[in-house]
Amino acid sequence: MRRGALLLLLAVAFSAGFYKAARRPPPPAFAVAHPPGANAEPARIRSDFASSRLHVQTHAASLIELKDGRIRAFWFSGSREGARDVEIHSAVFDPARGLWGAEQEVADRGRTERALQRYVAKLGNPVPGRAADGSLWLYYVTVSLGGWAGSSITAMRSTDEGQTWDAPRRLVTSPFLNISTLVRNGLVPYADGTLAFPVYHEFISKFGELLRLGAQGAVLDKQRLAPGGAGTLQPVLLVQNADDALALMRHAGPPPHRAVTVATHDAGRHWSAPRISSLRNPDSAISAVVLADGRLLAVLNDLEQGRDALSLMISADGGASWKTVYQLEDDRGLPKTEAAWLSRMQDRLLASDARVATLPAEQRAAYLASVRQAACTPGGCRTEYSYPFLLQAKNGDFHVLYTWNRTFIKHVTFTPAWLKQQLEYAP
Amino acid sequence: MIRFVDAAGLLGNAVALTALASRVPGFSRLGMGTRQSVLAAVMVGAFVPLGGGLPLAAYLRGVIGDLSVTSLLLLLLYLARLVRGVALPAAVLAGRETLLGLVAVTAAVFYPLALGWGNFDPYRLGYGSYGMLAVLLLLALAAVLRGAVLVAIALALAVLAWSAGWYASTNLWDYLLDPLLSVYAIIALAGCALHRRRRRPAAGLK
Repeated sequence: MRRGALLLLLAVAFSAGFYKAARRPPPPAFAVAHPPGANAEPARIRSDFASSRLHVQTHAASLIELKDGRIRAFWFSGSREGARDVEIHSAVFDPARGLWGAEQEVADRGRTERALQRYVAKLGNPVPGRAADGSLWLYYVTVSLGGWAGSSITAMRSTDEGQTWDAPRRLVTSPFLNISTLVRNGLVPYADGTLAFPVYHEFISKFGELLRLGAQGAVLDKQRLAPGGAGTLQPVLLVQNADDALALMRHAGPPPHRAVTVATHDAGRHWSAPRISSLRNPDSAISAVVLADGRLLAVLNDLEQGRDALSLMISADGGASWKTVYQLEDDRGLPKTEAAWLSRMQDRLLASDARVATLPAEQRAAYLASVRQAACTPGGCRTEYSYPFLLQAKNGDFHVLYTWNRTFIKHVTFTPAWLKQQLEYAP
Repeated sequence: MIRFVDAAGLLGNAVALTALASRVPGFSRLGMGTRQSVLAAVMVGAFVPLGGGLPLAAYLRGVIGDLSVTSLLLLLLYLARLVRGVALPAAVLAGRETLLGLVAVTAAVFYPLALGWGNFDPYRLGYGSYGMLAVLLLLALAAVLRGAVLVAIALALAVLAWSAGWYASTNLWDYLLDPLLSVYAIIALAGCALHRRRRRPAAGLK
């Protein structure tokens, strides 16, 4: 009798289990993106700051295009990276007016932990994504214990393009106390409406991973993009067609200091062994997009050490070789002593955002003091142009966001005509 | 409004806190009625919001996450014994050692691989692999045949809870085992082995 009851329990449980497994959607192909239009805008490049708060540290910006063609940015902002007061902030850029809207806070530690019903110590990298139903999702890193290696992913949904957000919830992506999965680069749609989310693991061993998220944000699958121990981080997924894609990854391993790539030719069912690319990489974030003609355009620190230069680079052979298109920033060799460094940064500040140059002297001084506060210590000042995020909007324009000396999130936008012009004159 | 999966996670952590409270020195000297009252108070108290707006169970949950169904089952059996004052039927407890052995051996292989040792990630199988479900079913049937009732119950409840979406995790592994259970299983088995060795006469003595 007892054995009969046990067998009945097993029959019910495993019938439900096999039924659930059977309902899992089959592996999909990548969605083939519609190439952005080549607009008739003249060759033009301009820059400004997306963030506006002073006397804070800002970092890890990301972007998504809204349905009306405006661009929404996210980044984290607080007294310093990892502090309990760090919040996720957002602002919207209107290309028609060439202006950023007001900076708003979209997530903070207290609200996040109350919604998740679990203690949260700090917030980190935010990455937006677009679900098949058109809703906007924001994924951001939360840590309850320890450093960034203790991260897990929190997700929240907006149905009004980011003006308001549903209560956040946590994705479970790791069996060990749900650590450690971190996000940095954007999601890519599959043909069946699910999403490919390139993420990475840092606890004990560093390696890139790929999550598959369902229409309602549930984790459907996870696969490793590279073996543990290879030191691959922050993959950016570059889809060429329904089956072919390349994942370009930051490299935290021993020299050579080069970015690492893996490739798939069956929509991610299998990935090649990691290959050291020709792209220099000082263990820093990379962002890239696939152009309509299949070439790859990337923004990264094309250096072996430091983050004091940021380059726009292009590859016409699927990532095998790269050439520099433009130096977005280059302050290599800048003196680290405070007076000399600040003197140069004052010029850089004014050149970065025309509006800052028009401010009264007192406000300009506040901007410079903010730079000093974020980047200088008694030991000297540290130049940092890092964590780029590159997006090509549907109208063809490109937008790059990156950390500007931890003080501001800088935005550079350029037209396809400008890119073409640079490529024609590039050495 | 708390989501169901969060309430389920908090409940598991409240059970863990209640079990922890029973290990406070002096608890075993309490009368049965007092024990029941203390444990009930801890269980309820685990849900009372503290200064930051979060209950104690949520602080524990922030650190250890959601307990696996196996952990929850073992803790509930332990608490049931405490509040009833008598051991549970042998048939219910049969297979406890086998269950801990399975957890220990699986964890010793599973966690290193899942945390990045090599390129094979067994955690991936937990998103709905027929193979993994088939192996678990065979294991459960073998447990029934050998009388390891608790193994079969744990497997059935874990698969059932995963199918129903009891927790936020969509991965079956998170319902089967967790790191704390794994550590407990290894320590408990080592303790059992030591105990047996002490009871067995040393070889060569007559």
